[in-house]
Amino acid sequence: MRSPAIGLLLLASSAAFAGDAAFDRVVHEIESHYGTRHMHIPFMGMADFVVKVAHPEGVTSFKMAFFEDLKSPPDAGAWRELDRFMESLPGELRPIVRVHSRRNGDSVYIFAEPVGKSTRMLLAVFEREEATVMQVKVDAQTLLQSIEDPEHARQTFSSRDR
Amino acid sequence: MKIATIVIAAALAPLWAQEFKLPNLDRLADKAEESTVVTLDKSMLQLIGKFDKDDPDTRKLIAGLDGIYVRSFEFAAEGDYSPADVEAVRSQIQSPPWSRLVGVRSKRHGDNVDVYFKDAGNGQLGGIVVIAAEPRELTIVNIVGTLDLDRLADLGGDFGIPRLEFSGARREPR
Repeated sequence: MRSPAIGLLLLASSAAFAGDAAFDRVVHEIESHYGTRHMHIPFMGMADFVVKVAHPEGVTSFKMAFFEDLKSPPDAGAWRELDRFMESLPGELRPIVRVHSRRNGDSVYIFAEPVGKSTRMLLAVFEREEATVMQVKVDAQTLLQSIEDPEHARQTFSSRDR
Repeated sequence: MKIATIVIAAALAPLWAQEFKLPNLDRLADKAEESTVVTLDKSMLQLIGKFDKDDPDTRKLIAGLDGIYVRSFEFAAEGDYSPADVEAVRSQIQSPPWSRLVGVRSKRHGDNVDVYFKDAGNGQLGGIVVIAAEPRELTIVNIVGTLDLDRLADLGGDFGIPRLEFSGARREPR
């Protein structure tokens, strides 16, 4: 009885670690590519706990990294380079939405990966000199809303609107 | 064995040729004020269908699909894109098994939506391409897989697909 339980626990843990590894790799790649470091965000652990309990907007867990002073800011002219960079990111996350806006001067990328009964969604918002990367576990409804209205997702997670 | 492979490949070649592929639309993206790309392959659609418990109709609809691909462009001014920009798309769907539907209207802005479908030969559609062209907005949708024409309207408004109203839709004579 104990062995299957331990096995399941290990399986669940390894899935969680795999997700964290994907997020960490994306953060590392952005740091390398733009020659910057992500900023420390206070109370992230507490925020994650609250999300796990309250599930706001269908989110059950999240990780976030925020970057300032991008040394080669991804302006509109550099969209294709940014596309190539984002599409070459390692991991199982699949790109599902990409938005470039001259109006806002930003680019939004949404990646997704099925994880058990939910979806791991990675959202990256590149603004003129800042970037935010967020990994969340969401239900199908939230994923659909993000696909249908990436602007809403951008506003929810972007640094400018915090 | 090699000959058999060549024969099979030759037999399948016309089928491959019938597949619609969204061309590279970087030129339009360069001109656009805002460009959006939505890429949902079969596994992502299955995921969405599996967990979208509130809408069993959508779930059934999605089950027959292999992919939904949307390219949408918003332009700063009228005339920022021309019909020629869309020619690479239209040229792929001008001949059988593709047909064009007429009598399709955009709910919001009128008469600028063209819907092309691929006849799957069994009373169902084998694929749909939607070109919604407005003076300052262009959306191209490629739906891969089988579905009923009646259900296409159900997809409107979801996955970045424009809302569509089919009033008296009919096949255009070839």
